[in-house]
Amino acid sequence: MAHYTILGKDPYWMNFWGLMILTAIEVGAVGVELGDTITMSILIGIAIPKFIMIAAIFMHLYGDADSKILTMTALFPAFFIIVMVFFIGLTSPGAATELPAWCRPGYWT
Amino acid sequence: MSDDHDHDYDHHPSPWGPHDWSHGAPHNSFAPLVMSIGIGIFLYALASVFVGGEVANLGALSGVMLGIIVITIGLLIWWRQDMSFDGTYEPKATGAPFRNIDLRKIAMWVFLMSEMMVFTSLFSTYIRYRLGIPNCEEVFLSGEWIEGTSVVCFEPAAHLIASSWFHLAPGAANTFALIISSFTIVLALKTAKMSNKKYADRYEVELSDVHSHRSRKVAMFLGSTLFLATLFLTLKMIEWFVGFPTPGPLTELNHGHSEIASLYSEGYTIHASAYQHHAYDTAYHGGHEIPHDSALYSMMQAGTHPGGIMMADIRVGASTFFVTTGTHGMHVLGGMIGLSYMTFKGLRGGYGPSNAVSIEYFGLYWHFVDLVWVLVFPFFYLF
Repeated sequence: MAHYTILGKDPYWMNFWGLMILTAIEVGAVGVELGDTITMSILIGIAIPKFIMIAAIFMHLYGDADSKILTMTALFPAFFIIVMVFFIGLTSPGAATELPAWCRPGYWT
Repeated sequence: MSDDHDHDYDHHPSPWGPHDWSHGAPHNSFAPLVMSIGIGIFLYALASVFVGGEVANLGALSGVMLGIIVITIGLLIWWRQDMSFDGTYEPKATGAPFRNIDLRKIAMWVFLMSEMMVFTSLFSTYIRYRLGIPNCEEVFLSGEWIEGTSVVCFEPAAHLIASSWFHLAPGAANTFALIISSFTIVLALKTAKMSNKKYADRYEVELSDVHSHRSRKVAMFLGSTLFLATLFLTLKMIEWFVGFPTPGPLTELNHGHSEIASLYSEGYTIHASAYQHHAYDTAYHGGHEIPHDSALYSMMQAGTHPGGIMMADIRVGASTFFVTTGTHGMHVLGGMIGLSYMTFKGLRGGYGPSNAVSIEYFGLYWHFVDLVWVLVFPFFYLF
């Protein structure tokens, strides 16, 4: 449970309204023709604070006695996530067949 | 928990039945094991039912039913055991680094981390194909296609969904529904956790009435969360399979169409190897002119491209969309099953300051479902 306030108000209420406003901006940004790059930047720029707000306040990763160790626990798979996103997500679908010869089966035998 | 209790009373009369909490620490439950077996049977049988999207093996349906029955039995046993739990004997971790933290809380976080890996693999797949396969619109404008021959390209669902406010409405409503549901579950926790005196002062009720008043309020918040989760899945089904009519005065705003077609009826399916869309018709191109700086325009001007309708093989894009949003939807469904039980227990006065953490731990799961949607919504619905 939260033992603090945000601007003197209940943190859950503040978080809730913050999320609602950010979501309204998110949906609105898609309705306006801004171009792919700007739209993508806005969507990422809004998704990150929304993610943090839910994790920190609703999931109590901020402000509780055990918040620190649980945050570390939550961040534990970050390494694997980075590996997955960069080494799977950002390769191309043909990457496996385009590997250099020394990476392919049979080269070292 | 004292040794006296352990020796003097037989508090393990049945590992399947409700526990007598006044007689010592709880026994281990077999229910999760039963449910795991049920899920195994269900998935094994389900994989044999469909071939190429068609029901091919009716016999396997009995396996599916058996799986559901075993899961249900496991759930009922688990709930029966939990119904009387009032926070007594909440097990705590004794070793570093989690000393004195509830074991259930740690377990929930570890579970959520494994869930995060599941969704990361889905997101990685999406990123890989989204970046690695040419976008259908780019292929169309490149002119590298011939009418009547299918071309492989990535068609993001957002091309359909974000094409109008009406298409976007179910997804946007769902986003707000999940955020509100995250808030209602926090309110249920806050209400359950409040001390009796504080509760009596806050809501101006007699101390003797706090229990019944609190029970109704907690159940109301949990029930609201359940309602919002149901709304979420209903809107998702409408978006995928049903569609909805646009009210008369709004028809004009919807380009003269009297209904919003579902993704299914638009042909956006995992089997769409010959998908056609009005945006890929040179005669219509979504009501816009073909950009003059595109290769297609130049080729058509030079007479080297006859134009026509591009046929797209969009199976990869549709699969990543339906698998990711479907997996998320299954998590919402799982949450609804848990919420049904918790609302029932709440109505029976099962949650108070001593065991409000049960709501908190379920809430962690529910917020995680919201957290995933925070990423799914912009990248699968909007972009």
